[in-house]
Amino acid sequence: MKELDNQRLVWIYTQMLRIREFEERVKGTFEEYPGVIRGHTHLADGAEASIVGSLATLRPSDQLMATYRCHGYPLALGTDPKAMMAEIYGRSTGLCGGYGGSMHLVDTERGFLGTSGIVGQGIPQATGAAYAAQIRKQDQVVLCFFGDGASKQGAFSESLNVASLWKLPIVYVMENNSYNVVTRVEQEDANAAAGEPLAMKAKAFSMPGVTVDGGDPIAVYEAVGAAVDRARSGAGPTLVESKVYRLSAHGNIIAPPGVPLHYPEHEAIEVFGAREEYEAALRGDPVPRFRARLISDGSLTVDAADQIAAHVREEMQVAVQFGIDSPYPEPEAALHNVYA
Amino acid sequence: MGTPTPPPASTSAELDGETALGLLRTMWRIRCFEERVAQLKRTLQVHGLIHLSIGGEGVAAAICGQLRDDDTVYSGHRAHGHAIAKGAPLDRVMAELMGRSDGLCRGLGGSMHLVDRAHGLLGATGVVAGNIPLAVGNALAARLRGSDQVTVVFFGDGAVQTGYFSESVNLAALWELPLILVCENNGFAEFTPRSAHTTVERVCDAVAPYRFPCQSVDGTDVGALFAVFAADLDLARRGRGPLLLECMTHRRRGHYEGDQEAYRDALADAEWQRRDPLARLQADAIAQRWLDEAGAGALEQGARAEVEQAVSFARASPFPALELAGELVYASER
Amino acid sequence: MAREIPYIAAINEAIHQEMARDESVLYFGQNLATTENDEFLKAFGSDRVRVTPISETAEIGMAVGAAIAGMRPVVELYMAEFMLVAMDQVVNEAPRFRYMSGGRVKVPLVLKAGYGFTAGWAGQHTGSIYGMFMGIPGLKVALPATAADAKGLMATAIRDENPVCYFHHYLLTLEPGEVPEGEYLVPFGQASVRRSGGDVTIVATGWMVGKALAAAESLAAEGIEAEVIDPRTLVPLDIDTILSSVEKTGHVVLVDQATRHASASALIAAEIADHGFSALKAPIKQVTALDASVPYSEPMEAYVLPDEAKILCAVHQVLGTAPVAA
Repeated sequence: MKELDNQRLVWIYTQMLRIREFEERVKGTFEEYPGVIRGHTHLADGAEASIVGSLATLRPSDQLMATYRCHGYPLALGTDPKAMMAEIYGRSTGLCGGYGGSMHLVDTERGFLGTSGIVGQGIPQATGAAYAAQIRKQDQVVLCFFGDGASKQGAFSESLNVASLWKLPIVYVMENNSYNVVTRVEQEDANAAAGEPLAMKAKAFSMPGVTVDGGDPIAVYEAVGAAVDRARSGAGPTLVESKVYRLSAHGNIIAPPGVPLHYPEHEAIEVFGAREEYEAALRGDPVPRFRARLISDGSLTVDAADQIAAHVREEMQVAVQFGIDSPYPEPEAALHNVYA
Repeated sequence: MGTPTPPPASTSAELDGETALGLLRTMWRIRCFEERVAQLKRTLQVHGLIHLSIGGEGVAAAICGQLRDDDTVYSGHRAHGHAIAKGAPLDRVMAELMGRSDGLCRGLGGSMHLVDRAHGLLGATGVVAGNIPLAVGNALAARLRGSDQVTVVFFGDGAVQTGYFSESVNLAALWELPLILVCENNGFAEFTPRSAHTTVERVCDAVAPYRFPCQSVDGTDVGALFAVFAADLDLARRGRGPLLLECMTHRRRGHYEGDQEAYRDALADAEWQRRDPLARLQADAIAQRWLDEAGAGALEQGARAEVEQAVSFARASPFPALELAGELVYASER
Repeated sequence: MAREIPYIAAINEAIHQEMARDESVLYFGQNLATTENDEFLKAFGSDRVRVTPISETAEIGMAVGAAIAGMRPVVELYMAEFMLVAMDQVVNEAPRFRYMSGGRVKVPLVLKAGYGFTAGWAGQHTGSIYGMFMGIPGLKVALPATAADAKGLMATAIRDENPVCYFHHYLLTLEPGEVPEGEYLVPFGQASVRRSGGDVTIVATGWMVGKALAAAESLAAEGIEAEVIDPRTLVPLDIDTILSSVEKTGHVVLVDQATRHASASALIAAEIADHGFSALKAPIKQVTALDASVPYSEPMEAYVLPDEAKILCAVHQVLGTAPVAA
């Protein structure tokens, strides 16, 4: 694992900020341009440190798969946010031509093999990609991202068992945000109910399991980096539980056409009335936290940080405008891509 | 496994004479039944896919024999022993295997799908591990009814790698259901050894994240198994659960009748033959003077005679009315 | 050069040849390659040939992921019903992934599954469940009825760029047939006219093809010439060959081992009614399994399944002729 130099630290911060700004603009679109975003979106605000810290460990030839909460990964990999926003807006210029939308971003050229919209189902797929990587013998590693809810899916346990058995070059990164949709993890997870970390599930597969503060990109980088090194060396998979707090609700409201969509308050407040829990999470927001750290240790000046922020705001404003200005696909295109 | 080992230690320390004889009788009934089924399969008097549990009777006898009729057993494709030990009448099981109208399931289910509500055998499923979530649901229902009924689900070591297993174990643990998970670990999932399925050596390790009571026992040591299960049952009866009991066992025949058994070399057959649970328990019972040779012979003969009666009963039973195939698709009354 | 080999050997030959031809072809699943003597393992090694645990969701999901990552997996599922354990991967992932990516990825894989084992396997291992996959755009469905097709369709399935459900019939497993040696491909979407005739069109799949041909022989003895068509793939479906036969005969009997309302024949009937109605001289008749799970007991099992007598009866019904008493 390489030491993170100053330039890399600033890169991490910049990517975190880009993800945050992108997600803010997605959320803002519901107000600014009602009706432009249809269906369901899921935001990664709060998970930026975990996402970027994880991806910072990868080589360009490595690969990853994720869930429907997928905007963060391609942004950090260098995918054009204009194409991403256009995809979320259903335009022909979108990353996937408007076929997939928010939940199904794919950018294979950058190693982002895609997502599943169904909880847990991307896990065997990433495991299959790791199998392909193993037999291709080019030292590739696959990162597999999923949430805490997915760890109760059969797809999770079946996949981790096989990966452990075959010593596949994969790292399972569980972003534990303590909620599956509106259910608290201790309501549905026997380990959580017993007050145990979810990383404990790795025991069932004779696999190492570690828990890390997903709000600290350097801690994530070190934990995932060690797991990536282990995977690359042929020693097999690791389960990394990255504790994050999602700062938005699970997704925008689900409503019939005609009802304006928006983001409700986080479930902690909306469902459980636990405002203090949410406000504590806000106080620990990983983005300002990391900015403060870089400034205090001299890695970044206040001016430079402000410049980055201004640049990112401009970049994402352009992305929104590009999406809004882009044409819709021809209806007949619906019948393309059914078969390769 | 190739070197000779001393004879297995006495198995009967935990048993009294009456219990031991009851277990032996059940095991002989299962053994004779299944040997007869193997013959009938060869002559196509039973058809379809037949999985035998010869060599594993001790688990069925020691566990099902301690349950009440209103306790529930879920079994799988290798279910004859569990059904018989739980009290299903031999003749109606045989009639089911021969596809007759007096069969347990009126000829609709066959060997892999035995159901006997009256004796608490709520079902056997033909898909590996498919019975585990059903048993979780049964345990939940028992809890909701406020009863002290216990649910036991039997499955093989191959089932542990399925999503069904892990999803079910999480829920059973979360809800603390009175469920006893009994894994009959015969070291082979269908045709492939455990090492091809998982790096986890013991099934107990697969539930390590949940910290519920879990023991591995020698499934051929019927006395020891009986005592361990008695303790588990007592806990579950008092509302504790889930619990897992891993019985190290062996199937003396192929995965199914007709299996070419290309993998057989790996099975250390001779060693397991020495550990035949029926022979072990019977030898111990004789040594304890609960039984003499003549009494043992009588047990076997009695079981064989009962099986022959079952065959006669099944042969005399008509095939079901053909229309039944359609009539039972939907339930028509409450 | 054709020689006779069993249906199952023809399938294995196709997989073997395709694995030799293209090193991205993988073969994995439960209970395969368990000893060093396995011919696939010997030829292609344990990277490409692997036994898996009983984990259908992982097996099929891994195939999807490996395919996205550039491989061509063939998953051995043994029983078609085992796919049901992993229905999300089969229906909701494999065929939809490429589409939702706007064509940026492809998911070439083969799900090899035996079906229709109506030999006392009772309700959970006997279904003819291909019909439910015909309605999933993005999936292709192959249904070989002969040893030659078993080989040619498997080779084509492996080379196809899409997920293919390859359903082989368990009761045909040991059925011998002439099979070309070497590379042999049967194109998808091209029905085979198994027997020509001008009086009635019989469309049948899988094990039912043999039953339809036997019925056609009996009919010929009565002076009725049946044309027997085997679609060979249900997706894509060669409706044109069926329609031109119907133009000629005006009478249609559809034979399908599936239960009526989940059958391929119901969809074929709809296509004929839609596109060939004016050619019909009598209503279309379907001979399918009765709408019940397959019962265990042998007489009941036979009762619910289509057979030669039921086909003959249906033909006489559409032709308005009286059956010759047996």
